[in-house]
Amino acid sequence: MKKPELLAPAGDLERLKIAFAYGADAVYIGGAFNLRANADNFKLEEIEKGVEYAHKLNKKVYVTVNIAMHNKELKKIKDYLLKLDKIHVDAIIVSDPKIIELAKETNLEIHLSTQASTLNKEAIEFWKNEGVSRIVLARECTKEDIIDIKNNIDIELEVFIHGAMCASYSGRCVLSNFLTNRDSNRGGCSQICRWDFDLYDENNHLKGEKPFTFCTKDLSLAKYIPELINMKVDSLKIEGRMRSIYYIATVVKVYRKLIDGYCNNTKNYEYNLKYEGILKKVANRDSIAQFFNGNYGKDVQYYNGRQEITNQDFLGLVLEYDKKTKLAKVEQRNYFKKGDKVEIFGPDKDFNFKIEEIYDEDKKPIEIVRHPKQIVYLKMPKEVSVNDMMKIC
Amino acid sequence: MKKAAIISNIKQAKDIQEYIDAYLLPLKDLSINYPNTFSLEDIKKLKDLNKEIFIILNKNIHNSEVEKLKKALIKIEKLNISGIFFYDIAIPNLKQKLNLKVPLVWSEEHLTTNYGTVNYWYDKNVKYAYLSSELTKREIDEIKNNTKSKLFVNVFGYIPMFTSQRHLVNNYLETFNLKSKHNNFIEKEGKKYPIIDTNLGTTVYSNYILNALDIDLKVDYLVFNSTFINDKDFIEVLKNENKFPKETGFLYKETIYKVK
Repeated sequence: MKKPELLAPAGDLERLKIAFAYGADAVYIGGAFNLRANADNFKLEEIEKGVEYAHKLNKKVYVTVNIAMHNKELKKIKDYLLKLDKIHVDAIIVSDPKIIELAKETNLEIHLSTQASTLNKEAIEFWKNEGVSRIVLARECTKEDIIDIKNNIDIELEVFIHGAMCASYSGRCVLSNFLTNRDSNRGGCSQICRWDFDLYDENNHLKGEKPFTFCTKDLSLAKYIPELINMKVDSLKIEGRMRSIYYIATVVKVYRKLIDGYCNNTKNYEYNLKYEGILKKVANRDSIAQFFNGNYGKDVQYYNGRQEITNQDFLGLVLEYDKKTKLAKVEQRNYFKKGDKVEIFGPDKDFNFKIEEIYDEDKKPIEIVRHPKQIVYLKMPKEVSVNDMMKIC
Repeated sequence: MKKAAIISNIKQAKDIQEYIDAYLLPLKDLSINYPNTFSLEDIKKLKDLNKEIFIILNKNIHNSEVEKLKKALIKIEKLNISGIFFYDIAIPNLKQKLNLKVPLVWSEEHLTTNYGTVNYWYDKNVKYAYLSSELTKREIDEIKNNTKSKLFVNVFGYIPMFTSQRHLVNNYLETFNLKSKHNNFIEKEGKKYPIIDTNLGTTVYSNYILNALDIDLKVDYLVFNSTFINDKDFIEVLKNENKFPKETGFLYKETIYKVK
């Protein structure tokens, strides 16, 4: 059985390293011409460092170059592609056909972005003939669509399995342009689909218990991983280049376990509901399988008056560990104190303990850790490693 | 420069024939963003008016709709029309495979934004492009100066700005047990945006009627969209008796994308 690639988002080098540490096979990152213009995008030298880091681990880095260019971007794109080629990125993710044409003059592998909203085998055949090696399918594809496409065209398919959804067909929303003068198809999306509006019927305000919004629940296909593997999907993709290291570590770890759990023991595999609980804890919104099951009725909408949950479970990141003293150097992310019951989790460990001893940077005992990014030392009952994380139990 | 009208009914086609050069006709079940569509039978009848006819086939084609699309393309080929506006890339692929002669218009709505990609399609025998409404006049001029492709640009009408497969109005009404007739709009900060929810999904339109008729756009076709405009007003606009306020959309307003 072919194990699919687990593809994670990485907003910066720290998140790239975390994604790999927690089990991603590949990451996708944003460079100069991508659809998250206001994220902390990678400069070329950072991409180079990320690629070197990944290749040492035998893992891959894909760079999103998925804007719909205007004339002025057209003048700069060729030079950028040549530079990406020179630093050996594993693929670029594009949607503008002109970029595909230009990329064919390099050694770059070309993946077609979900921004191209590719839903059918005829369009895929066209792109395959154009030299595209992988299609990131539109999120509107059902499982039947994916099976039919895979059975009819020999091309790699990448499917979104987790994260936020566009309310529109990708590429067909310019709400940001009209309401905030930001170009959504060049990375300026200001998420108008999450705003509340008043809905009218002629002059009657149609007012429900919650305001009208386009906002949908998030996507989660955790339960369907065996189906996706059996469908021979090549890459399973997690959304969220602007999400935290805690989110990435948690989600990547869960999907790594689900994929390995099924591939390593197909006959006796049983879906463990505890994973849904873990994913739910790091989510801002409820999750659902969305179009995969052909569902886009009222159950997929998210009417919550913009009250999204801010997660404060993440308490700290392990920076160092001293085996002799059993002290872990921890960078604070949320308030904690002596006596709290907490959980340590890492790529291959999970354990709970009660915080008994905390020291400041001068190794003086303290009771409370309340400052963001405060560096403290904690006595650990078991060995921990760099990049392990501490969260509320 | 020619005038092309996206029309809403057969009667309107006849009423405006002396003022326009081309009809742009959304095809039933295979076009979105237009509340009124036409069957191939309707379109056949309009051939008698001796105008250029372009069929708008701008729906995202789901895998299960490929056969329906294929049949429609074969029938359209026999109509001998001036061209097909396409959004989904299945259409150029099928045109090639089925060896169809019908010309194509690259019409990926908000993505038709630079001359490089216009020329990419030109080199693939797509000799027309329908440019995005989110371009400035300067960008349109630059595209025109750098391509042989014939260009369509919107100059009048509401502009679709959001298209979803989801039934956003119906989902809301069902969730909160509300009833609605039609003519829906959404409002934010005093601005009203028309919204329609059909069997193919939801479209939201601009809060204004683009009215840029007096702007000197050196393109090949000026597009007039009749969606939500009553027939009488639409004829007046085509007759240059335009009473709508001037609204230039993005023609003189460049969008930004990086805030910091």
